[in-house]
Order: sequence, then C-alpha cells, then structure tokens
Amino acid sequence: MAEREKLIELKDLQITFGTGRKKFVAVDHVNFDIYKGETFSLVGESGSGKTTIGRAITRINPVSAGEIYFKGQRISGKISKEMDLEVIKKCQMIFQDPMASLNERAKVDYIVSEGLINHHLYKDEDDRKRKVEYALREVGLLPEFASRFPHEFSGGQRQRIGIARALIMEPEFVVADEPISALDVSIRAQVLNLLNKLKKSRGLTYLFIAHDLSVVRFISDRIAVISKGRIVELAEAEELFLHPLHPYTKALLSAVPIPDPQLEKQKKLLVYDPSIHDYSTDKPVWEEILPGHFIYGNKKELEQYRREVQA
Amino acid sequence: MAENRQPILSAKDVEIEFTLRGKVLKAIRKCSLDLYKGETLAIVGESGSGKSVFTKSFLGMLDANGSITGGTITYDGNDISKYKTEKQWMAIRGKKISMVMQDPMTSLNPLKKIGKQIEESITYNQGIKGEEARKMAIEMLSKVGIPDPERRAKQYPHEFSGGMRQRVVIAIAAACRPDILICDEPTTALDVTIQAQILDLIRGLQKDLDMTVIYITHDLGVVANVADRVAVMYAGQIVEVGTVEEIFYDAWHPYTWALLNSLPQLGVKGEELPTIEGTPPNLFNEVHGDAFAPRNKQALAIDFEEEPPFFNVSETHIAKTWYLDPRAPKIEQPKSILSLRNKMKK
Amino acid sequence: MASKQDELFRFVEYSPENAERIGYSNYSYWRSVMQNFLKRKSAVFMLFVFVGLVIFSFIALAIGKYDWATLVTNTDLAFHKPDGEYWFGCDNLGRDYWCQVWYSMQTSVKLAALVGGGECVLGIVIGCLWGYVRWLDRPITELYNIINNVPMIIYLTLIALIFRGLSFPVMCITLIAFGWLVMARNVRNLVFMYRDREYNLASRCLGTPISRVLVKNIFPYLISVIVLRLALSIPGTISLETTLSYLGLGLGIDTPSLGILLRNARNYFVDYPYLLVFPAVVVALITITFYLLGNAFSDASDPRNHV
Repeated sequence: MAEREKLIELKDLQITFGTGRKKFVAVDHVNFDIYKGETFSLVGESGSGKTTIGRAITRINPVSAGEIYFKGQRISGKISKEMDLEVIKKCQMIFQDPMASLNERAKVDYIVSEGLINHHLYKDEDDRKRKVEYALREVGLLPEFASRFPHEFSGGQRQRIGIARALIMEPEFVVADEPISALDVSIRAQVLNLLNKLKKSRGLTYLFIAHDLSVVRFISDRIAVISKGRIVELAEAEELFLHPLHPYTKALLSAVPIPDPQLEKQKKLLVYDPSIHDYSTDKPVWEEILPGHFIYGNKKELEQYRREVQA
Repeated sequence: MAENRQPILSAKDVEIEFTLRGKVLKAIRKCSLDLYKGETLAIVGESGSGKSVFTKSFLGMLDANGSITGGTITYDGNDISKYKTEKQWMAIRGKKISMVMQDPMTSLNPLKKIGKQIEESITYNQGIKGEEARKMAIEMLSKVGIPDPERRAKQYPHEFSGGMRQRVVIAIAAACRPDILICDEPTTALDVTIQAQILDLIRGLQKDLDMTVIYITHDLGVVANVADRVAVMYAGQIVEVGTVEEIFYDAWHPYTWALLNSLPQLGVKGEELPTIEGTPPNLFNEVHGDAFAPRNKQALAIDFEEEPPFFNVSETHIAKTWYLDPRAPKIEQPKSILSLRNKMKK
Repeated sequence: MASKQDELFRFVEYSPENAERIGYSNYSYWRSVMQNFLKRKSAVFMLFVFVGLVIFSFIALAIGKYDWATLVTNTDLAFHKPDGEYWFGCDNLGRDYWCQVWYSMQTSVKLAALVGGGECVLGIVIGCLWGYVRWLDRPITELYNIINNVPMIIYLTLIALIFRGLSFPVMCITLIAFGWLVMARNVRNLVFMYRDREYNLASRCLGTPISRVLVKNIFPYLISVIVLRLALSIPGTISLETTLSYLGLGLGIDTPSLGILLRNARNYFVDYPYLLVFPAVVVALITITFYLLGNAFSDASDPRNHV
C-alpha cells in the first residue's frame, strides 16, 4: 500500500468504567489506524465497545491506557487547551438516536450553529445565518426549517439536522455512531447517500460504527469487527465479505437478513460460541495474515486460518 | 403458503382518527385486510404509515385520544370495531389475539419475577392457577429457548439480556395459545444475530401452537425470512397486498418499488444508493389523490387528482395504483427489482 | 368525464422541494402552558383571590381608621369585640386589630416571597452544579447532609444568640440558608437524568461551556419542578415562621407577622375567637392558593401534558 496519511491512530487503547470491584473493561488492546479520505467501519453487537471507542476519540469518554493520535499529535488524556480546540474543530460526531440527539427546547437555528457560537467562528449575525442556511441546504433541508423546533421533523430529517450541526464546524474527521440504526430502512439510503456525497465534496474521513453488516459493505473501504472489547478481524470491505476467517465474523455475516424470499428461507444460520477459543496456554496475537487482512487468534487458530486462505 | 380459505380476521375500510393539540389526525384512511388461518402476514411500511395503529385497533389498544371512526373489523363472527367496553375486549385480548411489542426493555414489569409474570397471563386468560400454572409457565420458558428454565423463572427482568427478555415477552404472549399473534417490530431493538434467532423461534412456536402471525416491520430482510403474504402500507392506507414472491419479484406499486430499490444490498460501491426522497405526508392535512405522488419521480397527473382504486394483478395480488389502469402509459418495473435475485445469487 | 380523466394519464415534473415540505404545527411552548393552565378553573380562581387579597391589604391599610405605626396600648380597649369603630376589634393590649392583620399579612407575604426567591436561586445554582459537575457531587452531598441532619432549631437558636434576636433581614437570610436544600436536591436529580442524554453529549463534543449547557439544554426541563417547589415553599415559609414564633424564635415583637398574631391569639382564642379567626383565615387562603397554583402551573409546564 502506498504511503497514505494516517489521520487517526489508536495504540493499545484500553477504556475501563468504574473503579475497584465494579471495574468493567469495555475496550482492551485495540490497535488500528484510519487513513485520510477513507470510510473505516467498526462493526459489532451492542455492548462490544464500538461506541465507547468512538466517544473516546472525540474526548467524551476518558482513556485509561494507551493513546489516540490525530495527525501525529496525541489527543487522549490531558492535553492543552489549543489541542482541545483543534479536536473540537476537526473531529466531530454524529449520534445514533435522532429523537434524543437534539435539544427539544431549542430552535434548529441554535442547534445547528451551537458550535459556531461556542468559539465565535463567524463574523456577524448575518454571516452566522448564512452559514446555517448553507449547512441546512447541504444536507437537503429547506432553510425555512431554521426557525422551527425539532419535534416537527421526522427521524430522517432530525438526523440530517444532526449532520448539519457536525459539518458546520468544517471537520476533517467524523465519527458516525450508528447514524442509521434508529431510522426506517427506507430512509437509511437517504442518509447514506448524503454521507457519501459530503465525504466527496468535503474530503472527509469517517469512522462508521454499525451493527448491520449489509449497510457497511456498501459504504466502507475497510471494516473492523469487534467483539467484547477486542477487535477480532480487520480487512478491506470486499475481502472481509468474500473471505471471512474469524468464526465471529462468519456468524455475523450469516445473520444478516437477505431480502430475497427464496434465498433467505434456505439460509443456514451460524451461531458463534466464544468457548471454542482456548486461550489458556496458547496466547492470542493480532496478526496480518494477508496484506491488509488482520486477525486475532492464537498460533493454532492462525494455522487454521492460513490453511483456509490457501484453499 | 396459505391456501384459499375463509379469513379468520377481516378488516374492511377501517378509518381511525386521533385528536392531537386540538386538531384531527386521520391516521388510517380506509384500510382493508384479510387474514387467513395459519399464515404469516407481514405489514411493511415506514414509521408513521399507521401499521402499529392499525393492528392495535384489533386489540382495542388505541390511545385515549384515538377512535375508530369508520369501517368494520370482523373476527369470530363479531364486529370488534364496535366494541366499547373493557369487558368485551378482555374476551379477546391475550386470549384470542395477543401482541409482542418492540422494546423488550420496557415490556416487562421490573419488580416481578418473570415466572410470575407468565403465570399471571395464564391464570388470567385460562383460569388455571397454582402449581399447574407454574408448570405451564416453565414449559413455556423452555419452549422459547431459555436454558435452565426452573432457575430462571425465579429471576427478575434486569437479570436477562435484551434477546432473552424478548423471548420472555413472546412466552407471555403465546402462553395462552392465542389464535393470532401480532409482533410489532419485535427485533428492531435487537442485534442482527439475536434477531435471526428470535425469528426462528417465532416460526417454531407458530407451528407448534398452530397460531396465525402478523409481523409489523420496516425491514424487508425480515419480511423475506418470515412472511407468506405481505401487505405494504403508506400514509395510513394499504397500497399493495400479495404473496411474498409476488411482492418481491413482481411488485407494481411505485412505493413498493421504491422500498425494494433502496436496499443497501443493491447498492453499487461508488454510486448513489437508490432512495426514496422526501418525507411522508402530514396526515393532519387532507390528502388529495395518491399519497405517494409528491415523492414519486414518475408520477402521473391523475395521481395528484384522484385516489386510485385497487387493481388485480393476480388472484392473490392487488395494488392500489393508476399504473395498472389500462389507460396508463407503459411502465416497466425497475430493472433493479428484476435483477434482484441475480445479484443475491452472486 | 372519461376523456377528462384520460388526459391525466401522463407524467409530471418531480419537485424535490415539495417532497420535503411538511406541515407547520405552529406550536409555542409558553402558549400551550398558558392554555393548559387556564383550563384549570380552580387554580385561576385562587390566583384572583390571592391577587385580590394583596391589593386589598394596601387598600385596607389606607382606609383603616388607625395607622399601624401610631398604635398605642390601651388596656381599656383590650379585647374589644369587632364593631363599627374597630372593624376587627382590638387585641389583648387594646390595639386595633384590623391594621395589625393586614400589615402582618404584607410582612409575611414579603418574607415568604423573598425567602422563596432566594431559595430558588440558590437551590437551582447549587443543584445544577451538584448534578452536572462530577467531582462536586461528593463535597456538596456532605454539605447537604451536615445542614440537613442537624435540627434547624439548634442553628436558629445559635443565630438568635449571635445576632441578639432575629430581625427581618437576618430571618430572611437564615431561612434561605436552610431552604435551598430541597430545591437543590430536586434539581440535582433531574440534572442527573438529563446529563448524559445524547444532545448534551453533542454539546460537549462541540465545546459548549457548562454554563450554557445548563441554561439552554437542561434548565428548560426543570421548569415544571422548580415552579412546584417555589409555589409550595411560600406557604411553607409562612407556616415555618409561625412555628418559630410559637417557640419565641420568630421575628421580634416589633415586627408584626401572622405568626406572632397567631401566637398571641393562642392564649385567648377560647374566649375571644376573633383573635384567631382573622389571621388564620388569611394564612389558610394563602396556603390553598399557592398549593393549587403550584400544582396547576407545574402540570401545565410539563410538555407531556400538551396535547
């Protein structure tokens, strides 16, 4: 692979919640990089820790061990005020639930320009209004919506307001935390198209967090599969779908419903049983088994996977 | 596949209105649907299309500000749309028609052991008490795939995961062997792996307990998995009904086309996903003509003027669109739908 | 008819803007609050009663025959029953009761309003910080426990000793210093609930300062509870002041208040019930009014009741 600029680097990340006896390790030993201009997807079930990682990058959750780098500079842990401002401007987030992610008692105008107001990133009132109008148009909403309250809008429109709010900051990197899970299946395409369009027009880089693999295949460049706080497989999108190796990935893929009655009714469902991994003596490692295709397993399993790949 | 028989539930021209903030919302505008014994019927539509409201009216569970203002719902020889008293509904709810809701987190009483909750349902609906009810509850728990049911019946809902809770909810709903089980988006709040298991479970239970199942969903993947027949709803009306193969491979309503088109599985990387632009109409206002017309890129002028009637595509397939009128210009079904099966095969 | 319909079978232009257009519901929060509130006739009625009472108290003092400041004790007139000359009669020291009752009412209401307002402000500020800033939770909880667990009587006795009696301003400040506890606790519980909702996470992500998050994101959801607390604190203060007067820890004899009148009347009301009845009716009216008003307004400002 040619030398691509690494926008985000996660090094040996660990995030724990609670202290003492109630300590819960949400994310452990996570290592991956996100290159500029790509859509990197993180897929896993609820509770696997994917949202926690996304929130740690935008500094909503604190990190307990390991580091996160943005353009080579550390953005996790204690950082200077200037760095914090950099992160706010350059790394933004889109949230999952359109019903909960907007302040019901504020007008759309305020919601969208909240970031601008915080850091006074506009020249005067007219300039701010123009920026809001532009942001709303960019996501396909009418500028007249700025004077209304969120409850007047549908889920898809509210999600687009949330996107406008993140984009008005002109970020380089956007964490999209399950942005379409709470939307109707028919509206998801709208939002996905919008995200793709914005990626091209603004040169954005995405971390796309999801639990639905069918969607992820369409928009991602690379996909990482996470289970119980550990990344178990990482590969380019097509590669992962054509040659899944880890049993968890295989189970996830088999569970995705196919919208074709004849094929779906004949499908066999694979169930993942975590107890098939015996890590007592043979410790697992994170290994690049093919160029660009990483997998987590102990020596015995890696042997198995290598044989599978050759077959 | 359901053969030709008498429908066990028949809704004709049902109209439901809500009063909200002083105004009237016409949530269901003349909906008709037949349900045959032993089949699995899926009702598909966006949020706000009225699918939940429609099925809630079969159980008399509309919100206080809603009422059935027209049409009939015939079940077991009675017109249940005219039921006004709780007593009348009690004979049906839970006993003959039962419902599984979307969110397993809030469907269970957090303060009662789950064994007790199932027993309650059995005692209330079948009059069986005490030890026998307890035995039936445990049997139900094992039927829905909960391991070690004796021990788990003594636990509280917060000790179960989301998927397990949904299984318990299904156990409560199915404990009384209802005729009809309505599942309102039972897997939307669950992960995709758990979803597959729950769908399998409901299918198994249906065979075992001889139930008729109605699925409400907006996910066509789920529909393909479970349904025998499909009804598509938009803006408070049913716009197309047919067998699952007819709907997926031979749909005729432009909304159904748009739904099938917007599946991410059909997407080509680097290109735009085909999508349904715009937003469903606001049902506070009168709807003129075909409700889907403003969002239809190939709308006919008459779609804005007059509401289309149902046209027959086959004995089992009807669609409410002017495209099927002999006077309409030649319209081809979108190529993407015709090639749906080929793409999946790859 | 057939031909007219036939010609409509043609394709029309697609307009993406029309597809996006939605109905405008023109909902205004405060307007809905007012509408909801006005529906409760009993509350509106009591509001009029209270306002009338306050206005009347000014009128009453103006038209009264005797000015409060120039009252002299006159044992001859002691326990003079209400008649044409002394509309409310005279108290045990022969002073006109009419002006005493109305003046006391004004004092009590003023005290209650000031204390209520002070409790409100202090309670909201502390409650918000208590609930929102994680590391302040522990220290403020300890403070709350210290103030809450020691009976107020002990504190008041100490303060009375230090300040040699309790004047109006000292009483105000003291009551505020203890009254903020309940408001703060209620506010803190709500802030806890809303603190980690996604829209607040979004604000943090955008770098919104804590003050604006509290004011714009969280405060609007607190209004219902705050109004209820405030409305209930007013009769609460009056009754507390009455109790303190019984115990001799109230405002001094020189500053008249309903509490003092009631305390005096306690000794004589069996023979001279009018001494008790007049101030008691006033206290009762104020209490009922604020109770109803508080509940009505609190229900009205809860958006879930706006149908």
